[in-house]
Amino acid sequence: MALNLIVMEKITDYKYALDESSIVAITDQKGVIKYVNDNFCNISKYSAEELIGQDHRIINSGYHSKEFIKELWTTIANGKVWKGELKNKAKDGTAYWVDTTIVPFLNTDKKPYQYVAIRSDITDRKKGEEDLKNTLKEISDYKYALDESAIVAITDQKGIITHVNNNFCKISKYSTKELIGQDHRIINSGHHSKEFIKELWTTIANGKVWKGELKNKAKDGTDYWVDTTIVPFLNTDKKPYQYVAIRSDITERKKGEDLIKKSNQKAIEHAHILELKNAQLVDFCNIVSHNLRAPLINISMLVDYIEQCQDEIERKEVLVKIKPVINHLMEVFNELVESIQIKQDTEIKADRIILKDCLDKVLRGFETQIKEYEADIQLDLNNAPIIYFPQKYIESILTNLISNSLKYKSPKRKPIITIKTKKEVNNVVVLSVTDNGLGIDLVLHKDQIFKIRKTFHKHPDAKGFGLFMTKTQVEAMNGKIWADSQPEKGSTFFIEFKNQNV
Amino acid sequence: MTTIKTLTLVDDDDIFVFLTTKIIEQTNLVDLIKVFGNGLDAINFLKENKNNVDALPEIILLDLSMPIMNGWQFLEKYNKLNPTIGKKITIYICSSSISPDDITRAKTISEVSDYIIKPITKDKLIDLIKKL
Repeated sequence: MALNLIVMEKITDYKYALDESSIVAITDQKGVIKYVNDNFCNISKYSAEELIGQDHRIINSGYHSKEFIKELWTTIANGKVWKGELKNKAKDGTAYWVDTTIVPFLNTDKKPYQYVAIRSDITDRKKGEEDLKNTLKEISDYKYALDESAIVAITDQKGIITHVNNNFCKISKYSTKELIGQDHRIINSGHHSKEFIKELWTTIANGKVWKGELKNKAKDGTDYWVDTTIVPFLNTDKKPYQYVAIRSDITERKKGEDLIKKSNQKAIEHAHILELKNAQLVDFCNIVSHNLRAPLINISMLVDYIEQCQDEIERKEVLVKIKPVINHLMEVFNELVESIQIKQDTEIKADRIILKDCLDKVLRGFETQIKEYEADIQLDLNNAPIIYFPQKYIESILTNLISNSLKYKSPKRKPIITIKTKKEVNNVVVLSVTDNGLGIDLVLHKDQIFKIRKTFHKHPDAKGFGLFMTKTQVEAMNGKIWADSQPEKGSTFFIEFKNQNV
Repeated sequence: MTTIKTLTLVDDDDIFVFLTTKIIEQTNLVDLIKVFGNGLDAINFLKENKNNVDALPEIILLDLSMPIMNGWQFLEKYNKLNPTIGKKITIYICSSSISPDDITRAKTISEVSDYIIKPITKDKLIDLIKKL
């Protein structure tokens, strides 16, 4: 009896523990509910009174297949324990998931006379699983979309290709087999600078996303441009363990851009030429306005004066002044014609000029002056001994510059004239003529230095034509001329010769 | 019946200077005609005589295109010098340039009273002197 009591007490304890911890229901062998505990009522939202005597299917959610339910019943009807996860329906229609163990209680014939169902609420876990499944599905959808739309490659942290999609193979013209296990540099075009590539690697190695445009090389050696986003995947230490590169083909756009760039450059060149021509035209108008109009006015004023003059001696005195003005007008006119001829002679060919020979010839013309002034002429032509330029222009240019250096020598010192050539980038040669003469105040005369009939020194032979012609000849060959000068120290004239690669 | 003491020509054109001098002489309105062949000589003279009111001209006829220092550069220097000069000097630009740029530019310089396009006639000269 005492033993029985102890056993009963123990059973009561177990039942209590079970009721506290689990959702418990007991049905008869037909499935009619005989007992439910508080946990069952809480989760199913029915009261015990509403449940007792009801078929257990009252909480059936209809979620599980017939086969599933049949298997459950076959198991327990055969006296075996069934374990599984069930989705049930509460009174208010909401569903809940329970981890379920159904234990059949057998009579002496080993037939179940009741079933004890012990459940625990796994709704949250199930929801988590569902969410995870959805997320996984979404991810795989994304991956599908990405693979369909973009060029995708994955490399390990060292840049070894571990995955490529079809688009990648199509554009790179390699097969998957040829790519997997290869260094990603297999598609390197060599177009980008070391700094550029270094910046890319620094960015992604630091776990940051890199975006940019890359020129890659396909298997057949052709280039293609891709808009690229590289996303580092980080491990728990926040170190990249792989890189996913997502690209899109922008080759056509790049081609278009190149074309636009080229045509832009051309447009700029044309605009520049037009600007130059325009400036020359304005110059020309000014020349006509200043240099031709002035002598014409002189003639007109002289004639007017003679007409109204009563005194015969004075008339004659004024009359003789007309001729020099006409001569001057003719001279300016001829200079202008000469400069226009240069501008129009666009067909003139560049000759191969050995500068040493050319200078020897030019300097011979100044022999007397050089001797008289004890001028020191220094040549430094080794850097670029040969240039390509029309013979008659270069002779005229050198004559003008050397003539100026001698004409405007300082009275305080013997002239030193240095003629130097220097090779520059882009097939350009710069020739310079440096003297230690009077110099020109460039602050005062900067805009005027190469204009016609502008003089800067009181010299009887200063006409203001030499530098104007020199500039015209240099510009006719697309060259440039400029000067550096300081009063009382001397001047250097620079001429840039273009297209010296012939 | 002289009206002004000194008129200054700043011009490098010998013929223009010769004829203008003759015309002015005929008007009998000017005591002394001073000529400078470029802007620098003129500005240096003004600097040296800025306190010598008698030596300073009443009128300057200024050419634009000249060697060494042109008319515009002269006007720049004159602008700085002007406050220190003890006399009102009336400046006319007298140029052969018919460029609208030059004429517009002249209008922006307060020291310039007018822009005269060469040739200058006797009547115009008389007008200028009498207007003073």
